[in-house]
Amino acid sequence: MAAHKIAHATLKGPNVVKEICIGLALGLFAGSLWKMHHWNEQRKTRTFYDMLEKGEISVVVEE
Amino acid sequence: MIEVFLEWRFLTIAPCDAAEPWQLGSQDAATPIMQGIIDLHHDIFFFLILIFVFVSRMLVRALWHFHEQKNPIPQRIVHGTTIEIIRTIFPSIIPMFIAIPSFALLYSMDEVVVDPAITIKAIGHQWYRSYEYSDYNSSDEQSLTFDSYTIPEDDPELGQSRLLEVDNRVVVPAKTHLRMIVTPADVPHSWAVPSSGVKCDAVPGRSNQTSILVQREGVYYGQCSEIRGTNHAFTIVVEAVPLKDYGSRVSNQFILQTN
Repeated sequence: MAAHKIAHATLKGPNVVKEICIGLALGLFAGSLWKMHHWNEQRKTRTFYDMLEKGEISVVVEE
Repeated sequence: MIEVFLEWRFLTIAPCDAAEPWQLGSQDAATPIMQGIIDLHHDIFFFLILIFVFVSRMLVRALWHFHEQKNPIPQRIVHGTTIEIIRTIFPSIIPMFIAIPSFALLYSMDEVVVDPAITIKAIGHQWYRSYEYSDYNSSDEQSLTFDSYTIPEDDPELGQSRLLEVDNRVVVPAKTHLRMIVTPADVPHSWAVPSSGVKCDAVPGRSNQTSILVQREGVYYGQCSEIRGTNHAFTIVVEAVPLKDYGSRVSNQFILQTN
């Protein structure tokens, strides 16, 4: 019985540094997906206002 | 594919500048201030996602590895100096990255336009609004004033939004610096238009000022944001028109009001 407990106590657990690194990598990946969405929206907004400025599109209904 | 999924999931573009059913995000920005607010939100949301995914991962892994059946004898760890230092310093850096764009936006919102083209006074009443255009009269003449009532629930025309439309809209010129002076006639009110990024409290005995630059023509809806009695949520509708049409629109509005 004692031997079984000792054997169990020496089992290696997870590597903390490795887990933190994987967690950070996943977090940064998810964050970068959001950033890509944000940059895409900014680009669409900028394009919209550029086209509005140039007169290519209009938000005013012609009479 | 991921981009398509994200667009579907986070699509928040409202076809009109008013609240949409089941809307998740902000209304489309009509002013640089609102665009700045949306950008700041996106910047902060990046950190939110980072922390959420990281913490969730740590939690799930801890629950997985240290399950009582797989690991009945826990380790007796009292402290770890290195990890304690890291987990203190790293989270304290994140608010610094958030604070920089936040303060930049905050101070730019507070900047008062020195010489606005137009000044409009919004006066809150129970339960309607009145607007004064004082730029077009000399000191001894009365200002151009009109009232703005919300169209009742049983009275809207086809295509109008329920409890969002008014009989007389605030007409402003697009791409022009405006000054709004907000004050109440009775109890506290608040002049709020989400797509313009404006929320200005009307405090009795005080006039508050805010600057707006509407970047595109359109009709922008808002609601009173300070509870003021039974018919509290009376609405605000700002109509931004091309500068060349502004004069005729405003004079038509006053003619109609006078009649």
